[in-house]
Parts: sequence; C-alpha cells; structure tokens
Amino acid sequence: MTRFIVRRLLLLIPILIGLTLLIFVFIHLLPGDPATTILGERATPENYARVRAALGLDLPLHEQYLRYMGGLLRGDLGRSFITNRDVVADFAQRFPATIELALAAMLFAVTVGIPLGMITAKRRATWVDQLGTVGSLIGISIPIFFLGLMLKYLFAIQFPVLPSEGRIDLAMQTFPRTTNLLVIDALIALDFRGLLDVARHLVLPAIALGTIPLAIIMRITRASVIDVINEDYVRTARAKGLPERMIDGRHVLRNALLPVVTVIGLQIGLLLGGAILTETIFAWPGVGRWIYDAVTTRDYAVIQSGVLLLALIFVVVNLVVDVSYALLNPRIRHS
Amino acid sequence: MTSRLWLSLLAVFALVVGACGTQVPASPPAGTPGAQTPGAGETPGTGQTPGTEQTPGTGATPDTGATPDTGATPGTGATPGAGEPQTGGTLVFGGSRLAASLDPALTSDGESFRILQQVYEPLVDLAEGSVSEIVGVLAESWEGEPAGTTWTFNLREGVTFHDGTPLNAEAVVANFERWNTFPEEMQPNAYYIGAVFGGFGENSIIESVEATDDMTVTVTLRRPKADFLQGIALTPFSIVSPAVLEEMNAADPVAGTFSTEPSQGGTGPFRWDSYTPDESAQLVRNEDYWGDPSEGPFLDRLIIQPIPNPSARLQALQAPGGVAGIDLVAPTEYEIVENDPNLELVERLSYNTLYLGINPTATEDGPLSDVRVRQAVAHALNREALIEPFYGGRGSVADIFMPPTSGWYEQVSAGVPTYEYNVDRARELLADAGYGPDNPPQVQFWYPTEVTRPYMPDPQGLAEATITMLEEAGFEVTTGSAIWGTEYIPAATTAQYDMYWLGWTGDYDDPWNWYGYHFDLRNGEPNQQFNCDPEGLREAFETANTSYEFDERAAAFNEVARIIHENACFVTMVHGDTALAFEPHVEGYVPAPTGSESFKGVWLSQDQ
Repeated sequence: MTRFIVRRLLLLIPILIGLTLLIFVFIHLLPGDPATTILGERATPENYARVRAALGLDLPLHEQYLRYMGGLLRGDLGRSFITNRDVVADFAQRFPATIELALAAMLFAVTVGIPLGMITAKRRATWVDQLGTVGSLIGISIPIFFLGLMLKYLFAIQFPVLPSEGRIDLAMQTFPRTTNLLVIDALIALDFRGLLDVARHLVLPAIALGTIPLAIIMRITRASVIDVINEDYVRTARAKGLPERMIDGRHVLRNALLPVVTVIGLQIGLLLGGAILTETIFAWPGVGRWIYDAVTTRDYAVIQSGVLLLALIFVVVNLVVDVSYALLNPRIRHS
Repeated sequence: MTSRLWLSLLAVFALVVGACGTQVPASPPAGTPGAQTPGAGETPGTGQTPGTEQTPGTGATPDTGATPDTGATPGTGATPGAGEPQTGGTLVFGGSRLAASLDPALTSDGESFRILQQVYEPLVDLAEGSVSEIVGVLAESWEGEPAGTTWTFNLREGVTFHDGTPLNAEAVVANFERWNTFPEEMQPNAYYIGAVFGGFGENSIIESVEATDDMTVTVTLRRPKADFLQGIALTPFSIVSPAVLEEMNAADPVAGTFSTEPSQGGTGPFRWDSYTPDESAQLVRNEDYWGDPSEGPFLDRLIIQPIPNPSARLQALQAPGGVAGIDLVAPTEYEIVENDPNLELVERLSYNTLYLGINPTATEDGPLSDVRVRQAVAHALNREALIEPFYGGRGSVADIFMPPTSGWYEQVSAGVPTYEYNVDRARELLADAGYGPDNPPQVQFWYPTEVTRPYMPDPQGLAEATITMLEEAGFEVTTGSAIWGTEYIPAATTAQYDMYWLGWTGDYDDPWNWYGYHFDLRNGEPNQQFNCDPEGLREAFETANTSYEFDERAAAFNEVARIIHENACFVTMVHGDTALAFEPHVEGYVPAPTGSESFKGVWLSQDQ
C-alpha cells in the first residue's frame, strides 16, 4: 500500500510538468494578452508596447516559460497581471468557498442519489423505477444555468424562503473567518445563528450544482446494486434467513458502493474546478469564477498557476479515492 | 408496462406544470437565462480598462434642469416629502466586480472608483451629479488659470486622515512626488497618472510641487494645461496619508500591501472595515469626517457586493433583504424594474458615445476613401431607431462626439454638420461617387464579441440592424467579429477594419479627451485608427491645443469638430444611458455621468 501511494505521488511530478507545458502553450495560442485587457479602448501601439515590456511579455516564449518554471521551483507561482496579487494567496483565499460548495453539492447528491439508486434497483421495472429513470434523465439534461436561475426565482423571490446569492448575509455581524470554510468557522465560534445563515446560503447552489452528480450517482448505484443483488452470496444470505435490512446494508451496499466511490471521487474533482456556472449565478466567490475571469482577461499567471493547483488537487483527490477503494475492497488490498 | 411509463411521465409533467403554471408571476424571471451566457453579458474582469467600463453616463443634474424624457426619477429621494435624512443602517449595494486594486492611483475602472472614492478624496472634485463643475474638496480654494502654469491650492483646515495624521501641504507634496516617481513595473497600471500628466518623471507636465506654507501647495507645470483641474479631480489623484503609504510600502510592487490591503489612509466619509476579494468590500461611517454633518455620511455601514451576472444581480435586488441597490441594470430588464412596485429605476444620463469607426486605408483604394461614400454611410443610418430596441429606450442620438451633458456641448456642436437619416440622399451620394446597384460599394463591418459597454449593450444586434440599413442604401456588406479585448481592439486601432464599432466614455470633461485623443496627431502622424487627415485639421488642432480659456478653447474645438464631421471621418451614433435600481427605502443617491458618485448623502428611510 505504501509503495502504491509513493509511486503515485512520484508520478505527480512528470504529470504536473507536462501540465504546465500544455497550459502554457494553450494560453499563448489564444489571441491577445493581458496588455490588451489592461488598456482596453485606450490601446495605442506605444501604450501597448510599453505595457507588454513592463509585464515581461515581449520576451521570447521559451524564456517566459523558463522564468515561470524557475519561479515554481522557488515556490513562487506568480502574481496576477491585473491586480498584482499573489496567485497562491488568491487561490487559497477562494478555494475554501469552492470546497464548501462542492462538498455540499456532493452531500446532496450522495444522500439523495444512493438511496434512490437502491430503491429503483430493488424495485426494478416497476413504476418507481420508471419515475426514477425519467427524473435522473431530466436531472442530467437540465442546464445548470437555467436550473440555478429557476431555483433562485422560485425559492428566493417568488416564495422567499432562501437567500438568493452569496455565502452569507453580509449585513449580519459575523464570526471570524479562521479557515474560510464558513460552516467550520461558525461552529468554532459557536455562532449557531451564523451557522444557520451559512447553511441556508448553501442549499440552492448545492442543489443546482449537485443535480447532475446526483443523477449520475443514482444511475450507477442502481446498476451496481442490480449486479450485486443477483450474486450468489446475496442469495445465500437471504436463504440463511437474514433480515432484508442487514442484507442491504452489509452485503449489497458494501459491495455495490465500490464503483460508486470511484464516481464520487471523479465528480468531486470535476466539481472543484467546474462550478463556474453555479458560482456565477449565485455570486459565489470561488476558484472556478476566478480562473474563468482570468482566461477572459488573459491573466496568464493566474491561469497557469490556478489550473495547475486545481490539477494537483484533482490528482490528489483521485489518489485518495483509489486508496479508499482499496481499503474498502479487500480483494484489491491484498493483490 | 407502457401504461406505467406514461403514468410516471404524466406525474412528472404535472409536477412541473403545477410549479410554474398557476402561480404565474407578475414579473417574469429576471432576464432570459438563455440570453445571458456567463461572462459574455458582463464585461470581463478587465481590471484596468480606464474609465470605460462602468463609468456611468450622465445623471440628471439638478442645475441643468435636464429631466430625462423617460420620466425616470432623477436620483432617489428627489420626490418631494422624502423627509429628513435619518442616520443609521447598513446598505448592501450590488456592483459587477470589486476593485482591481486598492491603491487609487493604480485604478482606472468604474468599479474600483465606486469603492475607493468613498474612502479617498482628491484636492478638487466634480460637483454632485455634474460633469463639469469643479468644487473644492481637500483644497478649500485655489488660484490658477487654464492658460497659466502655476496652480496654488489652499488646503482645508482641520482635516485628518483616517489614521489620525493631519492633512497638510507636506502630505499633498508627498503624494505628487509619489505619482511622479512610480517604478516602471507599476506605471502601466497607473494609467490616469500617466495620461493626465503626460508621463512620469521628466516626461511629466509637473515641473515642481512645493509646500509654500503649512496649508498651501504650489504646483508648477512645464506648460499650460487647460484641463488640469478636471484631471486631478479623478479618483487616482486622491490624497493618501504619507504615513500609510510608507507603512504599506506603496512604492514596492512586490512587497507592498497598499494595493492589496485596505488602509486607513483616506479622508473620505467612509473608512475601510474589511475587504474580501470577490465577496465584499465593507466600509463604515467616518465619524470624524470634515464635512457638514447635515450632508452626511448617514449610513453606519456600506457593503459593496460583486455580482457579475446582470440577471443574478437583479435577482439579488428582487429577493427580500440583502442587496438594496444595484448598478448597471441591463436594458432588457428596465421594464421589469419599472413594473415592480417594490423597485425604483434610477436613470443615469450618459457621458459616452458609440461610434461607427471608418478607416479609409484598411482596404486599398476602397470605397471608403471617398468622402461622399462615408457621408452616404452617415445618411443611411436611422440612429433614433436603435435606441428603443437596444438601449431600453434610454439614450440619445449622438450628433457630435461629446454628449449633451458636457459643459462644452453647446459651443463645440454649433454649426457642426449632422447627417439626418435620409436613404435617398445616401443613394445620391453613392451615385455621385460612381457606385450604384450594378456596382455597389463593398465594405466589411466588424463587431466585437464577449463584451458589453454602456454605449454598446448588444454589439451583434446593433451590427445586424446597422448592416440592414446600409444594405438598404445600396452597400454590400460583409461581416466579421472578434473577441473584444484580445483581438478586436488591436485590430481596430491599427487600421485593419473598414468599419467597426467602438465607443468612448469620457475620462473628464474636456474636448481634447474626445476629439484630441482620437484625431490629433500622434508622433507627428494621424492616428492610424482613423487615418483622418482632411485639409485644415492639423492647423485647427494646433490652435485648439494652445487655447486654454473656455470660450477660446470651445471655439477652437468647434472648428476641429466641424472639419472632422464634414469629412465623415467617423459616424457618431448614440449616447447610451445606464440605470441603477433601488429598493424604495434607499434615499439620496445622486447618479453622475462620469461615475463620480458618493454614498455620503445616501440614507435609509425607516418608514417605507
């Protein structure tokens, strides 16, 4: 197991190097550069040349790349061309918001998706199953943007029971932000009113973001459970007279969950980087929106390092998932 | 089996219909979700696009008595019987982005100004809601002539920075020196410093700045500058406590924190409380503000929340609690706000202009090199007809480059030819130039993507409408589009497009900022964006650039304008108004054309 983990971690290095090269090439293939965004309508050829020189953009490409890699090795991931803020600091400041949203969405997807998957699997080919199938198809196909706006319209404006955007009621005196994971911070400060406020703000974005993962998890669970239910050991357990509940819990679910865990891991990775639309509609100050803005303004350092950091986290998350998969499944552990 | 499937489908359908059907909302969901592609609708985070982004259009200045025809309430609380301002409360205001930098000298966009001008103040400023009237802020009075090279400022007594240190001549001198000596890496972002002063160090128009006594500062220029006061009224020229500048290493682009952390170095009606990027800028009332307390500040706390997506921004306003005011309502949403009894639409008259740029040299020996063809273009366009569909009915036809809200408008526009919509005349001109139905003039028309501007809310829509009009007059038009910041602007400004959309939001009220910036010589050559070099223009500019007194200068630029418009070097299209929306209990907000808008006079009415 340890060798497995170490090997995977070592693989990280060539992966990340390859990534930096790929990202670098990509962003320099895009037309334009930060100088044009900084200057906007006021771009005269002189201004433009001046800004490019000041930002080091007139250096040959390979030099720019080496400069960046040199910085990386020193732990300096660069500064935003637009705001001059340190990229790592900016990332660290926004990442908790994205994690919190991704975890909330995942929680929603898992707590609703797995039971639904179980139920539809056990009641296969009944109307319950049909309803579930249709529901999951709708869930996968609804555009997040539309879903988000509709949820906001219904539950924040028409029947105002939930807040419409943001992570927290800004006008309320709040608890200190030690981790910037607001649920944790509220608990640390024992501010339960604050905790409720944070939770209420999480509901709509979590549903909007979690609907697609929910549908996917539900369908995978269903398929997996159907497979497992037909296995011999389940039939044996039933024949032994074990209560249905226990069979479901210990034999069926435990085995059926293995592929689901992999999917969850992949989904979390995707959610971490891909929550741009949700972050935009709900004015959520996360990483997705930040990187998207950087791409539009060609803020090279932010794109380069931001994507790199996300990729790093994605790889680590998947490593964790693979390890937990091995832990859950003794067959893999001992192989 | 099949019937069960139908039954479940029916059940789902019934649920969906039930949710949407019977409770038909009075106002449809804010914005059409389909129309608002994320990031496309909103100007991307172009942090340093000088002035243009959300530099709002003109407000209904009480002095000029210019009540917009549309009947929008000129500023909130202007309704009689609004009552006495009440102190207290928290206002959450939705902007589109937070500041690109917290150092006022390094900012050039409206969203940065919106926040920073509550905290920092310059020596002089524009009068509330005005575009041209200068009032003293940190300078109580001043002496100087537009034609002169010496400006003396008498500072206001008893003003302290938020950190407790006093405002005095030394502090002002320290700030001027700071602006003059920006390290090279910071200069690109110090756009307005460079633009107003003409450069840094030796290239700056500032020869010297001296504290002639404790509260008097004398600035000596290398040559006269007619718009000197207008220039230094901009937010980047705010006076910051030298102690703070030093403490926060403002001159160090790497280790300095002044551009990334809030400071107590301002003198404004609000002080910094906290700043969370992408989430909120929180300001609190400055209890020791030097101004007359009856004029504010009244709010306990002002929170600016960035909500980039316009639909989401409006929804935030519609949802109870939270955001109580927003800026940059999309024109497509004006009707929603007006029909909502719980919201108030506040129009901001514009200080911007959309123009159809023409470059006669983009195509060799192209039709546009003939002035008659260019004039035909102008006559072919029904500009009035664009205002309702694209500007939500709020805007005006641009007869000259400067908008009517400008203090120079009357004199600069006098006698300048305007091209009224006349398709027959357009065809006549084309015939004169040798074109006709069997030999149509072939031109390309370019528009930008991934951008909206107050003067150009829908570039593609506007382009399509315009092209239809051109084709009706006999032009053969091919279209092209490119991404705004990264491809389009460099191409448009380097003579690669025949015709294209561009616009301008004035930095401050002086005709050179409009006509001069675009049509004056650059390094001895005409600006290649237009390649407009008609006879008499160079001389007219020479006169204009050495005319400093108002009447003289206005007359000189009137001549400049006349020549440019006679030659149809470009076609000025529309001045696009913008709008804010508030909940009715928010009083006292006065919109201003240039975006110089203070929250000092804003108060929350407890009665509504």
